[in-house]
Amino acid sequence: MPEWLLKEEQYEPIPDRDSFIDKSILSLLGILSRIRAQSGIPSGKHFVHAPFKVACTFLLVILLSLSKSLFFILTINVALLAATSLLPADKIFHILKAGFAAALFTLVILLPSAFWGNRYGIVMLPLKVFAAVTAVNILSRTTQWRHITGALKTFFLPDIFIFVLDITIRYIFMLGEFSLPMLYALKLRSVGKNNRKYASLSGITGTMFIKSKEMAEEMNAAMECRGFTGEYRKSGRIRMNWADAGYLLVHILALLIFLYLG
Amino acid sequence: MNNMIELSDVSYSYEGTPALKNITLRIEKGESVALMGMNGSGKSTLLKLINGILFPDSGTYRFAGEKITHKKMQDPLFSKRFHQKIGFVFQNADTQLFCADVYDEIAFGPRQMGLDEDETEKRVEDCLSLLSIEALRHRQPYHLSGGEKRKVAIASVLSLNPEVLVFDEPLLGLDPRTQRWFVSFLMKLHEAGKTLLVSTHNLEMVQEMAERAVLFDESHTIAADRPAGELLKDVDLLIRTNLVDEYYHHHPGAGHQHFHIHPF
Repeated sequence: MPEWLLKEEQYEPIPDRDSFIDKSILSLLGILSRIRAQSGIPSGKHFVHAPFKVACTFLLVILLSLSKSLFFILTINVALLAATSLLPADKIFHILKAGFAAALFTLVILLPSAFWGNRYGIVMLPLKVFAAVTAVNILSRTTQWRHITGALKTFFLPDIFIFVLDITIRYIFMLGEFSLPMLYALKLRSVGKNNRKYASLSGITGTMFIKSKEMAEEMNAAMECRGFTGEYRKSGRIRMNWADAGYLLVHILALLIFLYLG
Repeated sequence: MNNMIELSDVSYSYEGTPALKNITLRIEKGESVALMGMNGSGKSTLLKLINGILFPDSGTYRFAGEKITHKKMQDPLFSKRFHQKIGFVFQNADTQLFCADVYDEIAFGPRQMGLDEDETEKRVEDCLSLLSIEALRHRQPYHLSGGEKRKVAIASVLSLNPEVLVFDEPLLGLDPRTQRWFVSFLMKLHEAGKTLLVSTHNLEMVQEMAERAVLFDESHTIAADRPAGELLKDVDLLIRTNLVDEYYHHHPGAGHQHFHIHPF
């Protein structure tokens, strides 16, 4: 046993600016907990089915883009805010935060045109953006991502495209789970001053690339062993329920208002 | 006071799912302790908590008499001093290696501590020789075998010369020969006065790895905390905590005794 290992280390660390590790850990934890929370979103035969949600959200975004009526846009905004208010507090916060941020950004971008007398755009566009972002966020926060990708089957998207989307979401989570302990390991061993901080981070990134390549190769081999020949079939059958009917009715109403007001 | 690790009534949960409930545990300086329990009983969570990666929802954790809290760990100097004193070898060695080659991996800690390049080199060479991985010096960590990666991960922590070494499932995925090597390596570290904390499922080797064993049960509490040999003889308790089945036994009277399962 070497002598230095038998002695107690008399070590006093010196200050260093390495809060980036903590920030990286926190942001990664945030993403992972968001993906994990996704699988906890309730679904079943009494809830609105994802294909209806995806189709109606898509329709709503199209109507909002085409509409020239302030009344229609305000009505949709009020309806979306009412729908948002039925969700848990943390979801309301995230949905409104994204909506307001996007609307504010649009407003700032449009400010120069307002100085040239374009009053219409500065009112309508931020409201349209707010409504569209809120609608998409409600969809994302109330529907499991695997159901959203599955719903694409209804719109005749190729199964292999849906498969790639499914795998992408799964890989983001798995690689995120893998990189978290790497960041922890870097933090635990960063006991002093690191003059090559970015070399450590690029080391982590490099290992992640290698890991994802290995995982992809193993998965490819496993799929071949299970008889995968490039075709991926996903069942797209759904049975309509009362929640679906109510949901569709609200959107038909929105369509009628749009057709009446333009 | 010789308490190195002191947990009092500690509980922790993952978004409402309990992982640890009312854990009270004291580990003295120089002790070697094995954590046992079925999958999901809270062993890894406890190790993360002891290493300052997670923080208790309730209860207190003291390391060398000093209370470890999230707020205290926000102080970079305190956090670095703490992490130098306690080294953590992760379950998956892949996640612990991020440098370009094995030499840099082991030198990472000493360089951080501001040791000069001669002293760093000495530590790296000592660690390479201690773990019998001299030939790997210039290899890239991700091209190594599982056992080699585990040894490099241990060396990378050992070069910091921590007082406490924590191993999460160190025998997992190792061949029998490397497992045997690892157990004798732990014994060497113990003789050198290091405090050791090892989580394991390998009942055959618990007695050789640690003098004391702490057993977790399904309800995420400590079911028993006794000398390792004594705990392993309590087969009823091991069955009750779902760690073994009724075929687990040993043959009394044999020269060398260990617990095992015969093939059906």
